[in-house]
Amino acid sequence: MSDTVTFKIKRQNTAESSPYWENFVIPYIPNSNVISCLMDIQTKPENSKGEKVTPVVWESNCLEEVCGSCTMVINGKVHQACSALIDKLEKPITLEPMSKFPVIRDLIVDRSRMFEALKKVQAWVTADGYHDLGPGDRESQSIQEVAYKLSECMTCGCCVEACPQYGINNDFLGAAAISQARLFNMHHTARNTADERLDTLMQEGGIADCGNAQNCVEACPKSIPLTESIAEMGRQVSGKLWRNIFKA
Amino acid sequence: MDSHFLMRRIHSLTGVVPVGLFLIYHLYLQLYLHSGAEIYNNEVNSFYDSPLAIWTLVFVVYIPLFFHSFLGILLIFESTVQPSYTYYSHLLYWLQRISGIGVLLFILAHIWNTQLGPWVAGTWGTHFEHLSNGFADPDTGMLTKTVYVLGVLGAIFHFANGLNTFCMTWGIALTPNSQKRVRSFSIILFVILTASALYALAAIW
Repeated sequence: MSDTVTFKIKRQNTAESSPYWENFVIPYIPNSNVISCLMDIQTKPENSKGEKVTPVVWESNCLEEVCGSCTMVINGKVHQACSALIDKLEKPITLEPMSKFPVIRDLIVDRSRMFEALKKVQAWVTADGYHDLGPGDRESQSIQEVAYKLSECMTCGCCVEACPQYGINNDFLGAAAISQARLFNMHHTARNTADERLDTLMQEGGIADCGNAQNCVEACPKSIPLTESIAEMGRQVSGKLWRNIFKA
Repeated sequence: MDSHFLMRRIHSLTGVVPVGLFLIYHLYLQLYLHSGAEIYNNEVNSFYDSPLAIWTLVFVVYIPLFFHSFLGILLIFESTVQPSYTYYSHLLYWLQRISGIGVLLFILAHIWNTQLGPWVAGTWGTHFEHLSNGFADPDTGMLTKTVYVLGVLGAIFHFANGLNTFCMTWGIALTPNSQKRVRSFSIILFVILTASALYALAAIW
């Protein structure tokens, strides 16, 4: 094992400027992760040619694979940088920003499209007014078990980054939003607006844009059954399609 | 609901009903190649004797088939190539698109070779002789055989794998387990149809 680690990082100074690659060599520390290595680079921002450069910037927050903010493409595959242990990665390690979102700078991307998608599918419990509605219905154990898993989604973007149907210029909502539509359609109060969620899924960029490549479920760091969610929502929109055709 | 959604659902449906069902019927008919020229020609010609034959072909095969092909080609341009994600389903996703293009080219050649060509040449009706002569041709026979095997394999793959994704799209197979069962079924279907098609072709090889 060599005593240094080389990072090949795709950098970009501003949102408009063009990207370039820069190599960094840092001392090897056992059990370190990509974020701690980026911190190392930050303390002494010098590229492999010995030139002093601006430090590489990235986003991170929880450092325990729960917030999703440090998601980036590591050795060609999307993952959270905090839980990417360098002992398990092939060297040199390449770091790129996610390719499906506009880059703000270096490894930071603007993932607001994912938030917009959550708004489109109304990924919330619809409560009308401020008056006391009383306690909600009890949720059955079987629904709880499914809902808990779905609620672990952190909107990190792994599913859409790996998806061949999610393009930087199209309108696809992506697996995360479809799965959240499922979560709220099974909630006892939020299901009052289930039809509106289905309406969104039956528009351009909705569930019909899924190509069944199933990369989402492979890429999901939380092992959320995304293809099951897509199939379930496919069933719900099939039912709505049927009702739309034959309604009075 | 907008036309975008509806078009894609119709695309998914037409691939199975009627185009997929026609493929099965078509492959079944070819087993008559083993019964010799007279019976084979009678079987094929008896379909065309029906007064609705041409309408059946247009509405059950050609229109759904070309709608499916046309939208399918448009769909390919929406895909992003991401070779670093080497998953089995992702491979099938691309094979589905590549086989779609290949099969479309094969079908166009096939329609010309077995339908429009004989009509133009005035040799319509002697299907068996037309096929076996094409296969036995010393210059182009090997090429014709290769194109047929590839085209038929591609069509069967496209149908079997398409049936698999159809079940997901329409919400027929929900859980990973049921999706696995559907995948096993589509693999069995692929094997059976391939065996049937190759056996039929062996009659005039």
